[in-house]
Formats: sequence, structure tokens, C-alpha cells
Amino acid sequence: MSVLKSSTTLKTAVAAGAIVLGLAMSTGSLTASSLSGVPSDPPAIDAARAARTAVTSTELHEDSSPNVFARAARTRDAIGFPVGPRRSGRHVHDGLKQLDYDEVAEVDASGQPLALTQFDNAGLLVAAIRFDAAAPAVARISGDGAATSALSALTACGVSVGGQARTDANDLAGGWDVHWPRSQAGFAVRGDEARVHVWPDGRIASVARVEHTLAAAPARQLTESDVHLAVTRQMDTWFGGSDAGYVVDNMDVEWVGPNAAFDSTKVGAAPQPYRLAWVANIRPTGSAAGAVRLITLYVDAGDGTVIGGDVVE
Amino acid sequence: MKRAQTLLVSVLLAASALLVTTPGAFAYRSDTWSNFNSFTARCLGFNDTYPQQLYWNAQSLMSWLGYSPRGGTVGANFTRSAFLGNVLPDWAVYVHSHGDNYWSNYPNVDSGFLQDPGTTRCSDFSQDVIRSSTIRAVTNGSPYNLVIMSTCKLGSASSTMSDAFQIPMTKTNAGRKFYLGYVYTTYDSAAYQFESNFLSYLVGGGSWYRRSLYGAFLYATYVGGYESPDAADPFQANWWGNPYYDGTPG
Repeated sequence: MSVLKSSTTLKTAVAAGAIVLGLAMSTGSLTASSLSGVPSDPPAIDAARAARTAVTSTELHEDSSPNVFARAARTRDAIGFPVGPRRSGRHVHDGLKQLDYDEVAEVDASGQPLALTQFDNAGLLVAAIRFDAAAPAVARISGDGAATSALSALTACGVSVGGQARTDANDLAGGWDVHWPRSQAGFAVRGDEARVHVWPDGRIASVARVEHTLAAAPARQLTESDVHLAVTRQMDTWFGGSDAGYVVDNMDVEWVGPNAAFDSTKVGAAPQPYRLAWVANIRPTGSAAGAVRLITLYVDAGDGTVIGGDVVE
Repeated sequence: MKRAQTLLVSVLLAASALLVTTPGAFAYRSDTWSNFNSFTARCLGFNDTYPQQLYWNAQSLMSWLGYSPRGGTVGANFTRSAFLGNVLPDWAVYVHSHGDNYWSNYPNVDSGFLQDPGTTRCSDFSQDVIRSSTIRAVTNGSPYNLVIMSTCKLGSASSTMSDAFQIPMTKTNAGRKFYLGYVYTTYDSAAYQFESNFLSYLVGGGSWYRRSLYGAFLYATYVGGYESPDAADPFQANWWGNPYYDGTPG
């Protein structure tokens, strides 16, 4: 305890020193880097990117936006979410998610959000999430029971799903995560899903839907061997001349979002419709394995170009 | 002349009062570190763009929460000595790098992450690892408000990293404490998406109420849409700290 106290005192002293330094900086006599010996002014966030990724909101009020609040209340009640003594509504432009939505939060007397609902501009549910804590469950719902509750909640929220649900026990939060991965024309849409978290007592903790626009499928699709060649060509270009090697773990066809993973000129570009692609998982060996565990390439299923991918560091 | 001096003193006093009464203004330092050179064309043949994007998001988060000054860097200045030399005065720390729960005298774990290897070589565990035990020795019991380990595995139950910042691995802490990490190996895109959702939730809060970091965690977790590398490594973030803490420094 005495260590903690002395360290707290040290930090307070450092903070006080920083205030003095701040005053000094205002006179132009010092820079913040003097505090630590390392630049305290890392590269500024690109102004254009900051504008693109800004999250801005406009307050909505019950009298001027009755439909927004009524829809939120219907959803809240349909899935058994708590009712707060106050509500807060807003229209959000979320530049980080490239999404606009109307949000209504139920807020308790102490100012803590109890739950919220978000609907996109088409009136489709984005998310409904409660933030209060689950009471210890007397009787615990089974995985099958959770899946049934989850499907009822999706229906109540106007979200239609097809196919088989995947139900996973959530070891950290308790209860169950029930997912319906989205597929189109027989191919998985990478990351798209309807998802419900069910508390151990069977109550609904969250309902969410992630769905991206899809481009038309290519008229002619490359074969697996064509794509294997394209992947090999790309990896040989990247790793050629080094002692890095690679193993192609697996490849399958999915709808993917073109991204800037390997192309900095595309960072911050407007999102494009998802395209049908071969997704190749590649395990680096040799020197590259020291930093990267997995490289995932998205290879356009029509023309064989690399349109993005992912990295596990 | 006397009038001018009086005016100058008044301005300085006003500035002092403003800085003292404004939480975070020049008082609560944060450092954001992102390993960049491990993931560049020199080592991989391509430039992984996520370290820079994650760094921008983290800087936005620290700024929005009121941490100032905001130090750290993306790239070659993220060295072991820079990290350890700066961590004690920090109130908030963000790291994006390769991370893991490494053995130390098996079966003991001493979690760690890799410093940026610089511009002349690539990552080498033996040269680049920054262990939690080393960090713990430097932080020496000092309190931390917010620690985010944007790496693989440092949010798992076997991680020793939160302890290095005196944040117990419980979800019922009191005071201003919050630690965030990922449980399994994690795609960069999933970390970026999760941290974007985390930030969106906090920034999108109402004007008359403040949102908690735990609320941001729940929101980011439950909106979903995260890819995982394989079935053995599902996307899962984890936290420890105070569920009511709103992330503001102090």
C-alpha cells in the first residue's frame, strides 16, 4: 500500500509538473518532448481522414421524432429490455463504421444507459443492447433453448434469417451467443451475421445485424488451381529474395469487402460493395513468422486480382 | 508598463486556473505505441496498413477522453527503452503489436509484446520482447487509468500484463481502472473494427450522460461482425476493471 501511495504521489507530482510545463510551453520555451525524451507529438491525424471518420450526432426529441421513439419502444418491449426514467435520442453519422443510424437510449436515474436501440436509415435494426447486469440465474437455459429465444427476438426485431444457427457458450459473459452467418448464392458473406446474446436465464441481452451490400457475382469464376497460381505469384513477389517462406493453409470462396490491408493508398476510401473472392489463408515461415502468424488474401473470383485481406500479427 | 505587467500576470493566472481546473489539460499523460516496421515491405514484402489505422483510432480515443499530453509513436521510436522510459508518468497506455503469453521458467507465464524493430532489421523475439515483469518493475505500483493491449492473447486469463499496471483481473474493481485486451490470436481487421466500435459508442454518447468503458466493451462485443482466423481462435475481447468507469483521467 505504501508503494502505491508513493507512486500516486509521484504521479501527482508529475501531473503538477506537466501543468508547469504546459504553462512553459505556452510561452514557447519548451516542448512536451522535454518531459520524456521521446516526441510527444507523433504524426498528426490526417485532417481528411479525421473528417471522414468523425462520429457526429444530432439530438432527436420525442415530440419532433415520434416515429423513432415509438419504434425503439416497440423493440425494447418486444425483447424485454428495461425502461428507463429518461430517454435520449440522436441521429448518428458514424464515420468509423460508415453508417448512419437513429439511436434511442434508455437512461437510469443516475445517468447510466440501461439499453439502446439503433436503426439504420431504411428502418432496419442495427443493434439492440442492454447494459444492466444479469441477475444470477436460478435455472439455466440450454443451448437449444437459447437458440429458440434468439430466433424469437430476431423476429420481434424484424430481422429475418435463414439456415442453421451456431450456438456458442460465452465463457466470459455467461450465457450463449447465437449466430446466423449470412450467405448468398451458396457462399458465406465474410463477417455478416445476425447475432443474439442470451443471458443464462434466457433473457435477451443483445440483438445485432451486420449486412453489407453485395456486387454482382462474376459471370465466370476462376478455378481453384488458377487462384492457387495467383496466390503463389503474389507471395513469391512479396517474399522473393528473403528467407521467408509460406504455406497455403486453405482456400475457399466467400463474399468479402475490398479493403486497404495491403495498399495504403486505399486507406480511408469509401467502402465498396462486397465481391465474390477466393479467401486464401497463408502461414508464413522463416523470418516472416517472427512477426506475422497468418496472412489472408482476398483474390477476386472473376479476375484474380488481390482486392484486400487481413493479417494476424 | 505597469498596466501591461498586470495584464500579463492576469493572463498567466487565468491560464493556470484553466489548466488546473480542466481535467486532463497538460496533466494526464497517455502514450500510444504501434509497431509498424515489423509489418512493412522490408520484412513482409507488403505494408500492413492496420498499425497506422489502429494508432489513429487510439490517439482519437485518448484525445476524446481528455488525456494530455499524448505521447508515444507509430514506428521506429517505439523501442523498449522509450516505452519503459515513458510508462511511469502515464495514466493511459495503448500498445498495438505482436503479443503473447510467453513462458518464463515453465510453467510460469510472463506476458509480453514486441517493440518496433526499427528500419534496419525485422522482428526478433529475443531482441524485441518487452515483458510484463519488466514493465511491472518500472511501474512499481503506480496506478493506471486505462490500458489497452491491442495484441493477440494479452486479454486471456493467463496473461500477466494487466498486473504490470496494477489492474487486478476482476470485473469489480473500484476507482478509475480499465484494461482491455484480446483473448486469442486476432485478425488486425477485427481489432480495428472492435476498437472503432468501442470509440464510436463513447463518442456517440448523449450530451447529458456519460458512457462507461464497460458499456463501450459490451457495445463493441455485441454488434458483432468480427472475423476470426480459425475455429480455435474465435474473436473475443476481454476486460478487467471498474464497470462504471467512464475513462476520463484522474
